Amino acid sequence: MKVPGQSGGTMEDPSSQNHNGQLGPSAGGFCAENKQSDEGNQRIQYSIPGILHFIQHEWARFEMERSQWEVDRAELQARIAFLQGERKGQENLKNDLVRRIKMLEYVLKQERAKFHKLKYGTELQQGDMKPPVFDDPGVAEMPVDGELPYTSVSNISWRQGRQLLRQYLQEIGYTDTIIDVRSNRVRSLLGLNNNAEAEENLNNSQPVSTALNGNEPAKTPKKPQQHSSLTEAMMMDTEAAVMANFEFLAQADVDLDDDEDMSDDLDDQADDDQDDVKTARRKGKGNDGLGDDVDAEAQVVLNELILLTETEDNTDGRHQSDSNEWGSGMGFQAGTSPRRGLNFITDEEASDSTLGLGELAQLTVSNEADQFGPLSSTTKELRKTWHAKYTLRSHFDSVRALAFHPVEPVLITASEDNTLKLWNLSKTVPSKKSTSLDVEPLYTFRCHTGPVLCLAMSTTGDQCYSGGVDGKIFCWNLPNPNIDPYDSFDPSVLACTLDDHTDAIWGLSIHKQRPQLLSCSADGTVKLWSPQSKIPLLSTYSSEQDGVPSSVDFVRDEPNRMVTAFSSSHCVIYDLETAKPVVRLESSQEVLNNVVGRQINRVVAHPTLPLTITAHDDRHIRFYDNTSGKLVHSMVAHLDSVTSLAVDPNGLYLLSGSHDCSIRLWNVDNKTCVQEITAHRKKFDESILDVAFHPSRPFIASAGSDALAKVFT
Amino acid sequence: MKMADGIAILRRNKPGTKAKDFSRWPDEPFEEMDSTLAVQQFIQQQIRREPSNIVQILTPPDGQDEGVWKYEHLRQFCMELNGLAVRLQGDCHPETCTQMTATEQWIFLCAAHKTPKECAAIDYTRHTLDGAACLLNSNKYFPSRVSIKDASVSKLGSVCRRVYRIFSHAYFHHRNIFDEFENETFLCRRFTLFVTKYGLMSKDNLIVPILEEEAGTGESEA
Ligand SMILES: [Zn+2]
Ligand SMILES: [Zn+2]
Repeated sequence: MKVPGQSGGTMEDPSSQNHNGQLGPSAGGFCAENKQSDEGNQRIQYSIPGILHFIQHEWARFEMERSQWEVDRAELQARIAFLQGERKGQENLKNDLVRRIKMLEYVLKQERAKFHKLKYGTELQQGDMKPPVFDDPGVAEMPVDGELPYTSVSNISWRQGRQLLRQYLQEIGYTDTIIDVRSNRVRSLLGLNNNAEAEENLNNSQPVSTALNGNEPAKTPKKPQQHSSLTEAMMMDTEAAVMANFEFLAQADVDLDDDEDMSDDLDDQADDDQDDVKTARRKGKGNDGLGDDVDAEAQVVLNELILLTETEDNTDGRHQSDSNEWGSGMGFQAGTSPRRGLNFITDEEASDSTLGLGELAQLTVSNEADQFGPLSSTTKELRKTWHAKYTLRSHFDSVRALAFHPVEPVLITASEDNTLKLWNLSKTVPSKKSTSLDVEPLYTFRCHTGPVLCLAMSTTGDQCYSGGVDGKIFCWNLPNPNIDPYDSFDPSVLACTLDDHTDAIWGLSIHKQRPQLLSCSADGTVKLWSPQSKIPLLSTYSSEQDGVPSSVDFVRDEPNRMVTAFSSSHCVIYDLETAKPVVRLESSQEVLNNVVGRQINRVVAHPTLPLTITAHDDRHIRFYDNTSGKLVHSMVAHLDSVTSLAVDPNGLYLLSGSHDCSIRLWNVDNKTCVQEITAHRKKFDESILDVAFHPSRPFIASAGSDALAKVFT
Repeated sequence: MKMADGIAILRRNKPGTKAKDFSRWPDEPFEEMDSTLAVQQFIQQQIRREPSNIVQILTPPDGQDEGVWKYEHLRQFCMELNGLAVRLQGDCHPETCTQMTATEQWIFLCAAHKTPKECAAIDYTRHTLDGAACLLNSNKYFPSRVSIKDASVSKLGSVCRRVYRIFSHAYFHHRNIFDEFENETFLCRRFTLFVTKYGLMSKDNLIVPILEEEAGTGESEA
């Protein structure tokens, strides 16, 4: 805006001057001409005055045109000068930014060394190793990530290098949180750009220093206004980073607290005996172990890094906005879906903004508005990007299942640590400088004697059901979501036990209208229950030919039917009354000789349409028509086994989770991926084990083998 | 992405897996575990292989950071103690066990509350496990499972002392439950050896004579 206005000004001024000037010379020229013509008149009197007049006229015209050209030329030169000046200014800005970044890196290094020295009393011996980490983060970043498809490097040296680097990073204080943030970022970039662009993208995600000095200036003149707003944004970021750095320097105080805390603990150990006696002595520090003292060091470092990474991300963002073909050219399927006027992203900017940066994605949101200018403000209302908001940490082992309360911002998680936990998302623990909020569980349900595998919430939200490896289904009365987490034990929380299964229970489903529950077990049966009744077991279903059921759901549009998936990859709709198969979904006939690895991990019935959706080990999600049993659509949905599915209450969106560590959101209508989020880390070869939609609030959640559950808003 | 190996074993519990096959996959060498949860994987693998082989379970792989090793073991203990808590829920009632006691010598105050409280034994058990779960998962003290600050490592001792009281209460007041649980899990034995090996608790506090019982030699305990 600014630029055209200014250049317009510069255009006008010189031109008007030149118009004035033009009159002078041409007038002078006219006089000279008159003399000439006088002479001519003397020689060739009255012969061709018309011709002379014509020549004069022509000459004047040429003169006019020449001065016009001169005006244009001056105008263009002014323009060039202006653009050059602008470019120079921007280069200065860039240099300044690079300088700041280098300064920050330096300060960070210094601080690390100082901390290390203070903490361990030794010099940071890998001081030599650090510069490469910063000077060539490309190297540092890549080995950190466990999933990079860099096959050119041999496996062993790759692993060694990675170990070594991980060690360095740990030693200089990079916690694995940071490593993860970075690797997630890189991984998601790669996950999205599996094709050749991955390389390019990686290059572009190099630190600002190279990106800016490199190809950047060549592109900037194209969209100067975008750039200037961006550089402003970057300036702001850098400022913020500097501020964060100051906070980091100010950490001395916090650390003192920490030391106090430590001595407190030592104290605690010293008077070990007294501490156990019934005495008021413990009062002051009774909470020491479980208290909430803040040690923000890690977070500050993390934040700082996030800020730095954010600057990098901005660089990325610019590249993408500069060349829109990137958005659609990416292997990410979000590109083409038409906007549907819903509150989700479906357009191609979506792929820019959502890129799957995980938690980092939300960091760039404020700048997006600048990047896209007025365009984004018009589309803003039309789209919703999910961002990680709450991290639920309290389980000791893989979280296997999730269930939201039908109305309240409350959810229950079930874990391999044999417990279930109740969380109230409106009761967060204030945590400063953290991107996602921490929530502490309000209640721990203990009764299972083995890993808990599945959950179902009653439609009223009063009760929930859990099934586990111990072959038992427990029915729980939900405690009040405002309960004191350290209240006394109330045995009535356990309402009843359904223990007719003889092996691990892998799936539960609740009927939307009737108080009925379906369960499927490794004992080969599916059972229908009426948990409130005196004799809760209503019927048992099993199928010799199909084998062990792996997942089960009520068919939503036919209240007397259920759909059962088997680990043999068969999927069958049964009539609950007659216990007879009604429709066999076509997968079994589809490729008979290749059923290995096609196990169905999850089956869900669409809430309104006669549609069944299955998640397979072979990375596919398949859609079947319930009436014909025909395969409607089949797609490779993830890079690894698809483990879990959830359909939003309106049936418009499908959420899938996979062992590839990501969750993806799909448009049910056109089967395009709307968003991808890298959410969890791996334990052995498992990663994401469940996903869920809140039935009435804008929450989605994922459960992972890293013992965490995450909630996105 | 590394599935290109082709014949790679996938260590997964797929839906439909039978209880007896749950997590029963071939061991993975520690050097090949590249997850940030490698230490937990390794410990669980060792326990699964032979729960009674305590010495082996407590032997860290070469070059293992001790802080992380202790931390991951303590997580595992707290997790397995859920099993003991489940059993106690059926037998340890607030009416009969009004206080957390082991021998008559001490009454333990529950540290999970803002002001330490004289909780009933079953509440003490639950609160202590819940509190330990919160602390050991705290983003402030244990933001990473790969490296742990010394200040945080020093918190492990107090968690050990508190959760040990669950063993001692069960041993002195619910002996049949304790024995049943111990015969299956060898957990108190493992815990005792663990805290002794890493000096996390003083010998005087280890009042369950579990190692002595076993070896028959042990020091004389009053
Ligand atoms: Zn008791
Ligand atoms: Zn208590």
